[in-house]
Amino acid sequence: MRVEQALRLLPNLEALMPLRGLLLSSARPDERVQWGSGGPYLTVGKRDVEPGELARTMAPVLAFVAQHIGALYGAYVEALERQERNDAPGAVTALVGAGRLEEHVGRLSQAQAWYEVALALAETLQDRRPEVETLLAIGHVCLALGNYSEGARHYQRALVLSEAEFNQAGAVDASVGLGTAAFERAEWPGARAWYSRALRLTEAGNDGRRLGLVEHRLGLLDRGQGDLAAAGDHLRRAREYFEKLNGGAALDMARVLDAQGELDAALGRPGPAAAAFREALAWVRRDEHDPGLDVAIRLHLAELLLETGRWLEAEEEMRRAEQLAITSNEPRGLVRIYTVLGTLRGRQGDETGFVFFEQAIALCRALEGPLVEDARVYHAYGLFRQVCGGPDEARAYLERARGIFRSLGMDADVERVEAALRNSHGVNTAAGGAG
Amino acid sequence: MSRLVTRPTQQSITGPPPRPAARTATDAVRVLAVGGESGPGPLQSLRQWAIDLGVELEWAADLPRATRLLAGGRWDLVLAVLGDRSDEDLGWWVDALRGAPGAPRLIALADRPSMGLALRAEKLGVLDVLALPLKREALASALARVRSATTEVALPLPPIDTEGQGHYALVGQSPAMLEVYKLMARVAHSTATVLILGESGTGKEVVARTIHQHGPATAGPFVAVNCAAIPENLLESELFGHEKGAFTGAVARKIGRFEQAGSGTLFLDEIADMSLALQAKILRAVQEREIERVGGGESIPVTVRLIAATNRDLQDAIAQGRFREDLYYRLAVVTIQLPRLVDRGDDLLLLLAHFARQFAERYAKRIDGVSDRALELLRNHQWVGNVRELRNVIERAAIVVSDGTLRSEHLPDELRAEEPGVPERTTSGLPTLAEAEARHIARVLTHTGGQIGAAADILGIHRNTLTRKMKEYGL
Repeated sequence: MRVEQALRLLPNLEALMPLRGLLLSSARPDERVQWGSGGPYLTVGKRDVEPGELARTMAPVLAFVAQHIGALYGAYVEALERQERNDAPGAVTALVGAGRLEEHVGRLSQAQAWYEVALALAETLQDRRPEVETLLAIGHVCLALGNYSEGARHYQRALVLSEAEFNQAGAVDASVGLGTAAFERAEWPGARAWYSRALRLTEAGNDGRRLGLVEHRLGLLDRGQGDLAAAGDHLRRAREYFEKLNGGAALDMARVLDAQGELDAALGRPGPAAAAFREALAWVRRDEHDPGLDVAIRLHLAELLLETGRWLEAEEEMRRAEQLAITSNEPRGLVRIYTVLGTLRGRQGDETGFVFFEQAIALCRALEGPLVEDARVYHAYGLFRQVCGGPDEARAYLERARGIFRSLGMDADVERVEAALRNSHGVNTAAGGAG
Repeated sequence: MSRLVTRPTQQSITGPPPRPAARTATDAVRVLAVGGESGPGPLQSLRQWAIDLGVELEWAADLPRATRLLAGGRWDLVLAVLGDRSDEDLGWWVDALRGAPGAPRLIALADRPSMGLALRAEKLGVLDVLALPLKREALASALARVRSATTEVALPLPPIDTEGQGHYALVGQSPAMLEVYKLMARVAHSTATVLILGESGTGKEVVARTIHQHGPATAGPFVAVNCAAIPENLLESELFGHEKGAFTGAVARKIGRFEQAGSGTLFLDEIADMSLALQAKILRAVQEREIERVGGGESIPVTVRLIAATNRDLQDAIAQGRFREDLYYRLAVVTIQLPRLVDRGDDLLLLLAHFARQFAERYAKRIDGVSDRALELLRNHQWVGNVRELRNVIERAAIVVSDGTLRSEHLPDELRAEEPGVPERTTSGLPTLAEAEARHIARVLTHTGGQIGAAADILGIHRNTLTRKMKEYGL
């Protein structure tokens, strides 16, 4: 049975999300389809799933779910006990711990719910440190959900409290969070001000890891603003800080190398860019495996190959990322992979490439992830439709993307979509004139 | 019909004298050894053997350093110590070495490697899996295999008459293909519906396009729909079109493929992947020569010529109630069965030459030869994906080829793993019963795509027995 058929029989209930994940991760491509003419368009929906095998692999998933829920219940009971013993900070820690557990399994909205309960309790305390910790956690999850304004609000409060309490680490983290909230909305001067502040605070404290993290963010900012030389300097310094930690920050190192790869790609140096991505993958492999990061780096590598016209290698890299995302239950990664695969087909002038965007949209609906992901899919789909037939559809998808970006306050993205819409209008007018 | 076929202008591989490979068998083998954070650890003895074995050795303590060294130079061989997650490590290495300069082969080293690991390594094209502590003889034997690859002799590719249909050219002159050409010539000038059967990658769309180009509908468009690729819920609107607002996402009126094809040809590929409900609608379109857009009430006449294709056994699908018999007879007015690549003899060489030239042009390379070893590997491969798989392999090779000759090092590891003469892991040279059983189980599991139930049925054993054996062999 095909996954797309199996999913039609599965109601969209939260309690069944792990089963949905299991269904996707146990899906395998039929060899005949792989080599058939449908092979180049294969998506997770067209993979096969065997009910018998699902039944056999259900037990460990159920055990994991039970363990996770058990841990949440445990955290809640601990919060109650602490509260009963007048240890409210301990109760906050337990509730924040529950949120982190949810965040760890990718349940971001649920994590936010736990943090909000913790925050309500933390706000009643004289000691402000639990409140700062909770605010930082909420800010982080808000950014991950694409709710940048809300995230900035929480980070702002965390900063004020941290400074009042001389909590330097809290102030650094809050400043970085504020910088990132501004960065994501392309508010470059604001982002620079916050990151620079974080850097000044960190330099005073001599915290190698935080210094590396701030340098990394400054590198991303400079790259975003087009100052590639400055970006290179920041990323080099970030690497140096992380290297001094003797492998203690392998995933941070992977992220910096990933950024270095993107920088080299922007500088038109595909060789060093590919080498940086490959080394980043090696760092990911060295530490506790983070499949989400692995998938993201592979996607960047694939995009590099795509931009340099190495379509076959780009597709192979994306297929490897797809396999990893499926087997490690990273369906959000699949959304990005299918968007890039659709873009690749668009470059090849292959109209059937629309199937990738449709699959990405179906996944967005099923996963109910951050809205910004939906907007990115619609934006790319609109651009695809501009090239591969369907100007009306192109306009409809672009308008949908613009609406979402606008609701999130992402002005730079709104501008990009509007430029595409103007282009779409121009094409239509020209076509009309020719007719 | 001769213009349909690209033919060689020279029958056999003759011409300029063979060119020697760039590297010679006496050159030192460049080896990158990876593993051990504080020193070569399990590879210590390797340093002592290096000169004696003719090895130029470099050592990297960890994966990031190894990746830097790999990117910075050409290597013949990577010796990697696998960690606790040996299966994952193996996959990681195979992936990391893809496209690395010099196309280095991989030897995986593991403490007590399981049979499952050895079989997986074999499938992935890993040169060998050796047990730790490393034995000199085992390494020497693997090195001998690396060296033997340096003695490849270049053979010129036969020139091909390029009078064809470019990207969709039919290439081949085997008896099986000549029968196909004759049948195509007979049906091309009629408007009869054609059903093309054949395994994946045998060229069904190429045949359909050629029939269209030589038929009465040639003035009209050729519209191809891949029924296997399109999500089931969208296929109907893709074929018949829809009116604006017919369903969520129907943002504008859409003209379907039947209408787009107009008076041309509509090619329905992988028709067996269609639901029964949609099959009924196709039958109506074929019988009544009219369609209705989704969400529209108006009947629209269609004059399109229909060509359908599938890689499935339609008779079997009919027997299982998954394909409508009446539709089958409507489609199979003329049936063309395409041969598998392995049944096409020397067509492989012609196709190789055709694709090599096509991709050499695309990637601005010069490819005018193939090495004897590469050709042997290509000839011995089973080509499950037929011509499409060959095309893929040649495209990948064309990307990495540097001196005008396709060599075995340019072929995927999976193909190189099929090289004859890979020694068995027992002293007698013959596999043990357990090894043979594990190998066969692995092969069947690959065939069923890992589905245990189906594999147990083929093997004629109970599912629980199979699960136990898989655990036992580490599969």
